[in-house]
This record gives sequence, structure tokens and C-alpha cells, in this order.
Amino acid sequence: MMRSSALSLALGYVALGLTALVLFAAPLWYAWQITIQDERAEILQADAQRLTDLYRRNGADALKSFIDARVGMQIVGERILLLTDASMHPLAGNLQEWPATVPAKAGDYYVRVQVSDHGNQNALVHVAMLGNYNLLVGRDNALFQPLQTRFWYGLTAAVAVLCIAGLLVGLITRRALMSRVNSIRQTVSAIIHGDLKHRLPTHLNDDELNTLSRTINGLLDQIELLVHGVRNVSNSIAHDLRTPLAELRSRLEELSLIRPSTEETYTEIDGAVTDVDRVIRIFDALLRLAEIDAGMRRSGFVPFDVSDLAANAVEFYEPAAELKNIDLKFRSNGPLWVSGDPVLLAQALSNLIDNALKYAPQSGTIEVAIQKLEGSAEISVADNGPGIDTLEKAKVVQRFYRGDASRGTPGVGLGLSLVQAVAKLHGSALELKDNDPGLKVVLTLAVDESSAAARETAPKPAADAAIAAPSTLASLP
Amino acid sequence: MKILLVEDNERVTQFVIKGLQEAGHTVDHAGNGRDGMFLAASEPYDVIIMDRMLPGDIDGLAIIEVLRKAGKRTPILILSALSEVDDRIRGLRSGGDDYLTKPFAFGELLARIDALHRRAEGINHETPLVVGDLHMDTLTRKVTRGDRPITLQPREFKLLEYLMRHAGQVVTRTMLLENVWDYHFDPQTNVVDVHISKLRQKIDAEFERPLLRTVRNAGYTVTASD
Repeated sequence: MMRSSALSLALGYVALGLTALVLFAAPLWYAWQITIQDERAEILQADAQRLTDLYRRNGADALKSFIDARVGMQIVGERILLLTDASMHPLAGNLQEWPATVPAKAGDYYVRVQVSDHGNQNALVHVAMLGNYNLLVGRDNALFQPLQTRFWYGLTAAVAVLCIAGLLVGLITRRALMSRVNSIRQTVSAIIHGDLKHRLPTHLNDDELNTLSRTINGLLDQIELLVHGVRNVSNSIAHDLRTPLAELRSRLEELSLIRPSTEETYTEIDGAVTDVDRVIRIFDALLRLAEIDAGMRRSGFVPFDVSDLAANAVEFYEPAAELKNIDLKFRSNGPLWVSGDPVLLAQALSNLIDNALKYAPQSGTIEVAIQKLEGSAEISVADNGPGIDTLEKAKVVQRFYRGDASRGTPGVGLGLSLVQAVAKLHGSALELKDNDPGLKVVLTLAVDESSAAARETAPKPAADAAIAAPSTLASLP
Repeated sequence: MKILLVEDNERVTQFVIKGLQEAGHTVDHAGNGRDGMFLAASEPYDVIIMDRMLPGDIDGLAIIEVLRKAGKRTPILILSALSEVDDRIRGLRSGGDDYLTKPFAFGELLARIDALHRRAEGINHETPLVVGDLHMDTLTRKVTRGDRPITLQPREFKLLEYLMRHAGQVVTRTMLLENVWDYHFDPQTNVVDVHISKLRQKIDAEFERPLLRTVRNAGYTVTASD
């Protein structure tokens, strides 16, 4: 039989049940035995006492005849009686001779005796010394045999029931479990064979398998999304790289065919270098994304002032905004410390401002705002450009996706994907909201309470330490 | 300048040697880690260009670490196809002075080598900085051209200061991004060019002789000579 966890579990429970049963029965058996023995010894003592009294009162002959009468009366022979003289010669009773294993000394003994007409018996005997006579009274243990037998039968039955029930429950559980596991296995092998649409069956209840199935389904959703993404990306890479590569190729081929004047050749070569740079740029963006997606940059997390970072980014884009006569505004309520990767966040924010500059109309407005919310910092970049359709919102963060509005503008279509990847790395979501008119992109970060608090209690050194950390990277080259 | 190039790729080697020689430098070349280590340790060089991944058992970073431990302070530029931020940090931590990812533009390499060499000779801390009739006092933060005062925004001041400290040298857009704005990524659009043209408006527009010049396919330079 296949190894089955359900079956092993059931067998384990059976073993546990058996142990419990033994632990329960053993002391019971012991206590029972002790009680019976004590009671019997008492009965035998009372018997012996009665016979002794008779002997004292009426003499040996009276005792002899009393014993004979008693022996003659009993049918089953459960009582054992024997009277002997000092030389152990039997005078009366139902034993042929004094049992060899019983000493001629007052006391209780547990022996096997030969009773006339009734065969061998296990018996408890009590010996009393009456002057020149020895008296032995006993009771056959077989009297209690049925009770003992019933006890043992009961115990055996309990063990049997336990074993069978355990095995049955084990087998049934195994069957039920196997059928569910099998359905999961079939689904998974369908997925392995490439059909990512399949999902594990789930029920309404919340048992372990269901919870697991739901988690796995979540995993599958993510995988499907990623695979889909990869497929899209490969297609888009093919498309976006092919364009500059095709230009490059035709440029070079034309040069080789036409062999124009030196001056013209140089111009063409410069153009070719620009084409190559475009390809390299796309590759760099992709590598950066892959790096962020892999979560490797989490090591770069330090506390830093996001307000300062945003102010710098705004200042960086100020002249570019002026060129388009765009009013680039910055709103913030002073320093706001967050924990994150300042290099990546600067890049993300710069991408957002860059995008806003592309889409905001001439003489438009862009507002970059840093807001402190309950335990989090909200970074938003809002423009008054054409905005994004609700339908298109999910698509714009896809790699290489370029909305219709962006056709003819420079860029490789990776900007928002990078922002999204950075947001994800920081455990935050990227929200695209309507600015009526325009687009408002919101990034939420967790506020770094510890460094904020440290700054308040000890303003100077803590602030220095917090600034020193992010700038280590920056100051390296 | 005497330069050591440790690089195993023949094409890159040819391209770099030719370019550097044309720029008037003497170049020694080592094609593997062992030779590179030997040359770097025994000959005096002004700058070493070190490929990070080399054939054999000694890689670029190992050589740099050994050189630094031995007390050699020669400026080293690391060339590498590994572009991740962490790779870059590891490279600089091993003792490299600058990091350039492949593929690179030759202008970028040349500008960075110049900057490294200049830095090794001691940063130009003098104040005021003077290029032609352009004066900058970094203490009082006053800038004048001829006898006319020029008002600059703090960032414009920093940009001009960097350019003037590297007067006569080519400064690339990436170098400006890294050193003036502390940005280690490519901001896609030509924002640096916009900053430069704004700065140019302030220092050059009303003067006959432009000081801030564009170097084709490379970057910018501030110079008084022709």
C-alpha cells in the first residue's frame, strides 16, 4: 500500500488509544485483584474462626463430623476443607492429603490443590493450628473466573473495536483526502503542461486543504500574471528593440552600398551610435526592473527625508517645466522620514514628474505633494493633462505599454512599470487617480517612526546619522 | 598620462587603446588577471582601467584589493558588464575609484579618466575659481563675469562650480547627474541639457566669447582657450 499520511495518522491514533486503554486497565486490574484477595482472605479467616470455635466448644469429633457434613453438602466443590492430625494424616475434608506446597503454619497461601471429585483447582487457603490438629480452609479461585474472563473479553473487544475503527477511519480519510489531492494533482499537472487558466477546486468551508488551495490559487494568479507579463514583455522587447535595430541595420547597409562622402558617412555613423544608445537604454531599464523585481535592492533600505528628496526632484525638473511654460508646484509640510531606498524612489519620482511633463499641456500645472497620513507618507504627482481612461489604467503599468496619447513622444514605455516595481518593493501600491482633468499618481510609503522620533528627541546627531546613511551610496563615486 | 588597461576582450581593448593613444596617452595592456596584477604592482601608472571579469583565477576586484592592501593609491576605473547598483557598490568598496558599465561611450571613459587623474593630483580647492574672465568665489558664493555680477540659483551654482573645478576637461551628462544632483540613474529626457542651456543663458548669453561649450557625443566643458 502507498504511504499515506491519513492512514499513518489514523494508525498513530489507534496506537495512542491502545496505550490509553492499557494505562487505564492495568491499575484497575491491579486494584481489583487486591480487593478480591483481601476480601477472600477475610472470608477464609471468618470460616476458620467459626470452625475453631466449634472445635473449642465441642471438641475434635464434632468438628470432624461438621466438616464431613459440609463437604457432603456442597455440589460444586468450591469450598476446600481439610482437617489433619499432627502427623498430617487427613481426618476429614475434601482433600486427599495435605498439599505439599502448604507449610503447617498459620497463614494464607495461594496454591494449586487436588480436590476429591472436583479435580485440580487454584485456590487461596488459610491454615489454622488447633492444638494437635491442622485445619485448612480454602476457596476455589474459579468462582471469580467468569468475571475475570469477562474483563479480558471486554478488554480484547475494546482493543479490536479500536483497531478496526481506527483502520476504517484511516482508510476513509485517506480515500477522501486522496480524491481531493488527486483533483489538485490533476489540476496542477494540467498547469504544468501549460494551461495556466486552471485553478484548484475550493469549497466554501475553511479547512486546511481549502486554505492551501486558495493560497495556491493566489500563487497561480501571480504566476499567470508574470507569465503573461513575460510574454507581453518579450513581444514588446521584440517590437521596441526591432525598431531601432532595423533603423541601425538599414543605416549601416545603406552606408556600405552607397559609400557616400566622408562627411555624410560620419553623420550616418553618429546616427547609428544614437540608435545603439537607444537599444542600450531599453536594456538598462529592463535590467533595472529585473533587479527591483527580484527584491534585491531591499538591502538599500535606509531612513531618509522624502520631502527633501521630492524637493530636489522638483528642482531638477524646474527648467524643463519652464521650457513648456508649465507651473511645477511643490507642496510639503516639512521633513517627513520614511524607510526605503532613496536611489530608487528618486528614480521613481523623477519618472513620474517626467511623465507629467510629457502629458501636461503647454502652460499647464503639475503639483508634486508630500502629505503625512496616519503612519504613512503619501507622495503624489498630479497633472492637468489628458489623464488616463479607467480601462487603460491597468494597462499603463505594464511593461512597454504605451497609451495612444504617448505615441510620438520619446520614452521606452517602462517608466510607470518601474514606478510600480519600486512601489511594490516598498510594500506600497501605485494608485492612478483622476485629477479632473488629468492624472494623479499616488505612492504611499510607511513612515519611519523610529528615526522621526529619534530626530525629535535628539535633533542634531540623529538627523546627521539618518542623512549619512543614504548619502553613502551617493558619495561613493 | 600613463595608463594600464586590464581587459580580456580584444575588440574593447583595441577600441580603448586606439582612443587613448589618439588622446595622447601611453597605454600598457594586460589580457589576464595575472599579468594585470604584475604590471599594476611593478610599474608606476597614472590611472588603471580594470575589467571586472577576467579569464583565469584572478578577477579585477581581487587585483584591486591586493593593490590597495599593498598601499598602491593609483586611481582605478572599473569596467564591468554588471550594472546593478549592488555590483557597483561592491566594486567601489573593493577600492575602485569609479565604475563604468559596458557598453560605454568612449567620451565617457576619457572624461572619467581625466577626472580621476585630476582628483589624484589633488582637488582644485582654490577659491576664487577662475576661467577666463569668469570668477567664482565659493566662500562668498559670488559669481562675476568681467565686472558684471551673475546671480545663480544654489543648484546652478553647484553645477557651475563642478564645471569650473574641471575646467578644460570634458564633463559628461552622467558625471553631472552623479556629482551635481546625486542621481545614479538615467532620467530619460535631456533635463541636464536644459539646465546647461539655462546656465549658459546666465554666463554666456551677453558675452562675445562663450565659455561653456558642448562637446559633441561626450558632454560639456568650461574653458577659456579655443
